Amino acid sequence: MPAAGIVLIIGVVLVIAAAAAFLLPTIAALVAINRGLDEAIAAVGELIAKTEPVKPVVDDINGNLDAAVDALEGLLVKKAGLSDSLGLIESLYPGAAAAGLRNYPESTSIVPPRISEVYTRGTLTLARLGREAPIAASSPNGPVLRHVERSEVATRLLYTDVRQDRPETLPRSPVIGTDAPTQYEASDTPGERPRMPDGKSGGTSATLVRPGEGEE
Amino acid sequence: MTLYWIGDIVLIVVVLPVVIYLLRPVLAAARAIVVNVHAIRDAAAAGSKDLDAVPLLLTTQAQVKQTVETVANFGGSLDVIVDDI
Repeated sequence: MPAAGIVLIIGVVLVIAAAAAFLLPTIAALVAINRGLDEAIAAVGELIAKTEPVKPVVDDINGNLDAAVDALEGLLVKKAGLSDSLGLIESLYPGAAAAGLRNYPESTSIVPPRISEVYTRGTLTLARLGREAPIAASSPNGPVLRHVERSEVATRLLYTDVRQDRPETLPRSPVIGTDAPTQYEASDTPGERPRMPDGKSGGTSATLVRPGEGEE
Repeated sequence: MTLYWIGDIVLIVVVLPVVIYLLRPVLAAARAIVVNVHAIRDAAAAGSKDLDAVPLLLTTQAQVKQTVETVANFGGSLDVIVDDI
């Protein structure tokens, strides 16, 4: 065999060896890809199976929440009126009144009134239901906000209560027990004292003096 | 004979480098795809594991239903006790 033929054979063998050196790892890589894709497809199938019931459940939850929101909005509008409701909402959540109430399309065209700092306690409770609003958290340059401290004081004044009038001193609670400085006689009839503090004869609770009175 | 030598030279100097030049990126791409496929597989498995908590939605659904019923019952009382403006 001539030398050229031997070199030719060697050259062909080299080419085949080079091709094999690259193709064999490529085949191995493709096998690994195939196996990895099989596992990925199985995991994706699990994903699909697990997310399948999510939509009806979430839809049901949203439906229930929608009903609750409708009821609370309706109650707020019933109690405060549509215009003042928007004013309350705007004062609690600045900017929220622009979206209006869902069941009152005309509410989007209403300019929320400037609500004064005095609310009834029940209306505030209604407006705050479910959350405590970050009142006055935004810039004072923003929409009108309710003055938190003044409104609380003003609201308190709507209800008569000795303690809410913030007196200098309040009558102390009576000390009871065998070591009490003032010993009370046992009553035979509930609500009726055998003797009044001023030494007069007994009386019913309706005739009793208010705390702080008659102690001079 | 001269043609044989020319063929040998062409085979070794041209064909062999061309084969190597063409097959090397194929191997590199295949190896890169393996890494990406394994990442996809791991992500899908992790996502599937995260969704193990999906059945808890049924509990949430029941709780929301009870809460809304309570709110509905409370609303009637609220209508009575809350003072109108």
